[in-house]
Amino acid sequence: MRQSDVIVIGGGFAGLTAAAVAAKRGKTVTVLSKGVGTLTISGGTIDLLGCGSDGRPFASPAAGLALVDPDHPYSKIGKEAVQAAVDFFLDLCETAGFPYRGNLQEMKWIPTAAGTIKPTCLVPKTMDTAPLAETDMVYAVGFHCLKDYYPHIVAKNLQKLPGYDKTYHIAMVDPRFTAGRDVSALDIARWLDTESGRQDCIEQLRNTVKPGAVLLLPPVLGTRPDYQVLQELEQAVRCRIIETVALPPAMTGFRLRNLLLDHLKSAGVRIVEQAFVAKAIVENGRCLAVVTQNSDRERSYSAQAFILANGGFYGGGLLAEPGKAVEPIFHLPVKAPASQTQWSNPRLFSREQQPFAKIGIAVDSTLRPLAENGSLALENVYIAGRSLAGYDFCFEKSGNGVALASGYQAAMMV
Amino acid sequence: MKIQHNNPDSCTACTACIAQCPVTAVTRKFRGPKMVGPALERMRLSQEDTEPSLEYCSNCKNCDIACPSGVPISTLNMLARAKSFKNRSHSLRDDMLAHGEKMAKLAEKIPGGAFLANLGMNLGGSLGLMNLAGIAGERPLPSYAAESFLRQFKKFKQQSCPDKVVFYPGCFINYNDPQVGMDFVAVMQANGYEVIVEEDFVCCGSPMVATGYLDEAGEQARTNTELLKKWRQQGYPVITCCTSCGLMLKQEYQELYDIEGMAENARNLYDGCEFLLLLADKGKLNTHFAALEEKVLYHAPCHLRAQGFGLPALDLLELIPGLRVENAGAGCCGIAGNYGFKADKYDISMAIGEKLFQRIKDSGVDTVVSDCGTCRLQIAHGAKVETVHPLTLLRRAYER
Ligand SMILES: Cc1cc2nc3c(=O)[nH]c(=O)nc-3n(C[C@H](O)[C@H](O)[C@H](O)COP(=O)(O)OP(=O)(O)OC[C@H]3O[C@@H](n4cnc5c(N)ncnc54)[C@H](O)[C@@H]3O)c2cc1C
Ligand code: SF4
Ligand code: SF4
Repeated sequence: MRQSDVIVIGGGFAGLTAAAVAAKRGKTVTVLSKGVGTLTISGGTIDLLGCGSDGRPFASPAAGLALVDPDHPYSKIGKEAVQAAVDFFLDLCETAGFPYRGNLQEMKWIPTAAGTIKPTCLVPKTMDTAPLAETDMVYAVGFHCLKDYYPHIVAKNLQKLPGYDKTYHIAMVDPRFTAGRDVSALDIARWLDTESGRQDCIEQLRNTVKPGAVLLLPPVLGTRPDYQVLQELEQAVRCRIIETVALPPAMTGFRLRNLLLDHLKSAGVRIVEQAFVAKAIVENGRCLAVVTQNSDRERSYSAQAFILANGGFYGGGLLAEPGKAVEPIFHLPVKAPASQTQWSNPRLFSREQQPFAKIGIAVDSTLRPLAENGSLALENVYIAGRSLAGYDFCFEKSGNGVALASGYQAAMMV
Repeated sequence: MKIQHNNPDSCTACTACIAQCPVTAVTRKFRGPKMVGPALERMRLSQEDTEPSLEYCSNCKNCDIACPSGVPISTLNMLARAKSFKNRSHSLRDDMLAHGEKMAKLAEKIPGGAFLANLGMNLGGSLGLMNLAGIAGERPLPSYAAESFLRQFKKFKQQSCPDKVVFYPGCFINYNDPQVGMDFVAVMQANGYEVIVEEDFVCCGSPMVATGYLDEAGEQARTNTELLKKWRQQGYPVITCCTSCGLMLKQEYQELYDIEGMAENARNLYDGCEFLLLLADKGKLNTHFAALEEKVLYHAPCHLRAQGFGLPALDLLELIPGLRVENAGAGCCGIAGNYGFKADKYDISMAIGEKLFQRIKDSGVDTVVSDCGTCRLQIAHGAKVETVHPLTLLRRAYER
C-alpha cells in the first residue's frame, strides 16, 4: 500500500491544480488517473464566470462572483480563495516561462473559430486581443486542408462586432501535407514546432500579409508551453498574432497540461497513470484508502486526505443510472432534480441553463461532501471540478475557473 | 469479471488518444488511433475492411493510457492487424521479428552459434542484407549472450530459503540480456527469497501479436497460462522483469483471448520492482544499501505505464543513498518492441525518440535506467549512453 499525505483522484485541470497546490504546501501527493482529462483537447483559457443564470454577460468575473447563488461552488469557495487561486495560477505560469494574462476585474472577450466572441478571464499571451486596438488591418489566416476552420467565416462574422469593425483580408498558408489523415490543429502545431515548418510558414505569410496588421490564426502556435513560435512569427512578419478558440484537439489546452505536468514532476508529485479508482475503504466517516482496479489486481493507496477530481458525467466521475445519478467511488449522495424528466430543458439552444448540468455533489465551504441531511458525509474527502453540484459550466462559461478555484481550495483544506 | 471490454462504442470521439499517440506525432501516413481503432472497428463488425495505415501502429499503448473511456484502442488495432493477414502472407522480416525465441534457440543449438549469429547480424547490417530483408540496418540488432540466462542460472548455487518466487525471464532477458536475470536472482537472495525458474515457459507472444501472428501467440498463451496456473496453485508469486512480457501475460492475454485461468493468473503476476516495493511497504525490504554516488535518468517504458501501478523503480531507487534519480518524463522512446527494427519504421522510431534523446543529452548523465530491454537498446543507440535495468543498480548497492 502506497502512503501519501494527499491522494488526488483524476488528472484533469482540477486534479492537477490541486496536486500543485498541495505539493507547494509541502505535502506528499499522489495523483491517480485513468485517462487524461479534458484539458488535453480543450481550450486552455480559464473561463471564470461569463454570464449569469439569465444568460446575460457580467461586466467582470468579479462582478459575477458577487451575484452567484448560494449553491454555486464559487459561493462555497468564497471570493478571497478564488482570487488566491487566480494568483497562484498566474504565478505558476509566469515562473514556468509561459505567462497568462488577465484578472478578475476584467472580462476578456476572445474571438472563436465561428467568428463569435466569448467571455473568459485568463488567457495565454497568444489569445490576448490587445493588439487589435493598434491596427485597422486584420488577416483571417487559414491553413489548407485544416478541418473545421473557415477563415472567411471568421472574418465575415467578426467584422460585425464592436471592436472588430476593421478591414479584413484572408490569407491561406499551405503546410504542404501530402496524402494522409485529416489535418487538425495538432498537425499544424507540430509543423510549426519544426524549424523548417516555421520558416515555410513565415515565407508564405510574408508574401501575403502587410506588416503592421493583426493576424487571426487557429490555435496552432506550437505544442509546447512557451511563446517561441508566437515570437518568431510575429518578428518575422512584423504583425501581431492572435489565436482563436477552436474545436478540439485545441493546442491551447494541450500546452497548459504539459506545463502542469512538467511542474508537478519537478515538485515531486507522483502520477499513477491507468489507475482506475473503483472504490474506497471508509471507516467511521473517514476514508482510509482508495482502491484501483486493473486487469491484474486491486491496489490500495492510503493517505491522510483525498481530493475527488474525476470529472462529472463527462469525465466518468458521475454515472447516470435509470432514475438517478450516482457517484461510483464513495457512493456520495448526488444532488439532482427529483424526477429525471426535469433533468433537461428540452429547448437545447434556449437561453436557459440545463438542469442536468448542475447535477453533482453538494459540499460545504471546505468542499467536503454533504450527506442527505446536510451533515458532513466524509471527514477527509474534498470535491473539486466537474463533479461539484450547482453550476452549468457550459452555459455560464466557468469550466476551468471552477476547476481552478475548487482544486485550489480543496488543496488548501487538506 | 473481465474489466477489459473490446468496446468501440464507448468512444466519445474526444480525440485525446490522437493528441497522445507518438506515431501520429511524427508521421502523417498514420491515420491515428481513433480512426484506425474504434471508428473503423465499428465498420469492421459489419464488413471486411482493411485500413492500410494500420501497419503504422506500434502497439505502444499511449492511446489506451490517454483514453478517458477505457477503450483498448491498441488491442483493437492488433486484432484488426491479425485479421488483415487472413488473406495475405507474412514477409520474411515479420517472420524473423515475431520469432526471436525460435531464432535464438537455433543459434543456441550450434556450438559457437551465438557468436556466429552475432557476427552474421553485424555483417548483415553492414552489408545492407538486413535492409534487403526489411530490417533496419542502421540499428545494431540485439546480440545474443554467450551463455543464456537459463544456463547461467542452472550453474548458480542459490541459498535455499522458505520463501520462494517463480521468475519468468522472457526471451530478451534469457537470450540477449541474461545479466538482468542474474541481478534479479541476486537481489531476491539478498531479500531472503529463493528463485525458481520454470524451464517450460515460452515466449509471451507479444512480438507475435504486434506482427499479426495472433493465433500462434494464442498457442503460446495457452502454454504459459497452464504453467502460470500450476505455480499459482502452489502459492508462488510469478515475477517478470520485462515490462512487455508483464503487460502481455497480465492484460493482453485477457483482451485478446478467452482462456480459462488468465484472470486468476494475472492476480498472481508481479513486476520485479513492484514486488520489491511491496516488500518495502511491509517493512520487509533489505535496505542495507551502500551509497552509489551518481546521477542517473530514469525512462519509464510505455508498457509499464500502461499497467497502472506507477513507476516502482523510481521509488525503489530513491532508497539507495547517494543515488540521484530523475524521471526523464519525455514520453515514448520510439522502439515499441520490434517496431523500430523494421527498416521502413526506423526513421519514425528515431523521430519519436528524439525528445528523449535530447532530454538525456541536456541532463548530462551517462547512465539511463529503464525496466524495458528494447527501450534500453533504443536509448543506447539514440543517445549514446550506458543503460541499465533498475535491478542492476539495486544489486550494485547491495554488493558494494
Ligand atoms: C471540448 C471542451 C472544450 C472546453 N473548453 C474550455 C475552455 O476553453 N475554457 C474553460 O474554462 N473550460 C473549457 N471546457 C470545460 C473544462 O474543460 C472543464 O470544465 C474542466 O476542465 C473540468 O476539469 P475536471 O478536472 O473537473 O474534469 P476532467 O477534465 O474531466 O478530468 C477528470 C479526470 O478524472 C479521470 N477519472 C475519471 N474517473 C476516474 C476514476 N474512477 N479513477 C481515476 N481517474 C478517473 C478522468 O480520466 C480525467 O483524467 C471545455 C470542455 C470541453 C469538453
Ligand atoms: S498503440 Fe501507440 S502507435 Fe498505436 S495508435 Fe496507440 S498510441 Fe498510436
Ligand atoms: S481517447 Fe478514447 S474516447 Fe477519446 S477518441 Fe480516443 S478512443 Fe475515443
